[in-house]
Amino acid sequence: MASAVVVNAQENALKVGDLAPEIDLLTPAGQSFTLSSLKGKLVLVDFWASWCAPCVEEQPELKALYDKYREAVGGGKFEILGVSLDRKKENWAQCIEKFQITWPQASDLKFWNSKAAKAYGIEELPFNVIVDGVRRVLAINLHGKELSDFIGRYLKENK
Amino acid sequence: MRNYIALAGALLIFAGSLAAQQKQEPWKADQLMAPKALAEKITKNQAGNTFILCVGPDALIKGSVDIGPGKDAESVSKLRTYLNKTPKDKEIVVYCGCCPFDRCPNVRPVFQALNEMGFKNARLLDLAKNIKVDWLDKGYPIQE
Repeated sequence: MASAVVVNAQENALKVGDLAPEIDLLTPAGQSFTLSSLKGKLVLVDFWASWCAPCVEEQPELKALYDKYREAVGGGKFEILGVSLDRKKENWAQCIEKFQITWPQASDLKFWNSKAAKAYGIEELPFNVIVDGVRRVLAINLHGKELSDFIGRYLKENK
Repeated sequence: MRNYIALAGALLIFAGSLAAQQKQEPWKADQLMAPKALAEKITKNQAGNTFILCVGPDALIKGSVDIGPGKDAESVSKLRTYLNKTPKDKEIVVYCGCCPFDRCPNVRPVFQALNEMGFKNARLLDLAKNIKVDWLDKGYPIQE
């Protein structure tokens, strides 16, 4: 099992094994989207923003990951949920368009006042959480190869 | 003896690269402004003669002007226009706060431009981690 690194020091910081807080935000099209709607899937919740350079740099990697596991996505086993801390909708939408992001995206466009950022006790971006089908936190802040390996291993073990 | 020479050589290279890294920053250490100092200035209404310019995600510091992301040439151009007639001794405080300086793409192009324009009192707000931790969470003044 890959080690999970918790980088934030807030008291309400999420820990591996916790039940991940519900996320209920709007898609760029203005429709409600909830994390619980992805019940039964392994979900990578990627907190990001168009203003966060390291987050933006990571989007092509996530796209490659999404493409690599597209069968699992199609089979209802895996999903990525992008949660943006953007303030301006046009910046958010432009970034989604630029990187041709096809996984679900949600935001309340409230920057650091985002209710999701508060619920997850996020102190800095990039930040991500991997949850299982019942929203149990499996790992926090895995990136690069560590992230890809974790997803691959989990999907292999939970076919 | 040979080991000592190798060690001395390695130390020289290390010191050299360190100096090179420090030289690369367009600001000097004494141009970094503590967030607390700016917050007190704003709270005590002493920021009237200071331009506070945001070159990052959201101009949330009270009284600050949104220049746009400093990494974009368009923003630097806007900055040059905005400060075109400003006296060179004006205090200008630039901030971003997207992330720590080593990962921030915004502050360097802007600070470089301020240097090129000859501003003598340019400051960089020392948001070591980000605008959330070093400003918002401290309850410092934000835009209404």
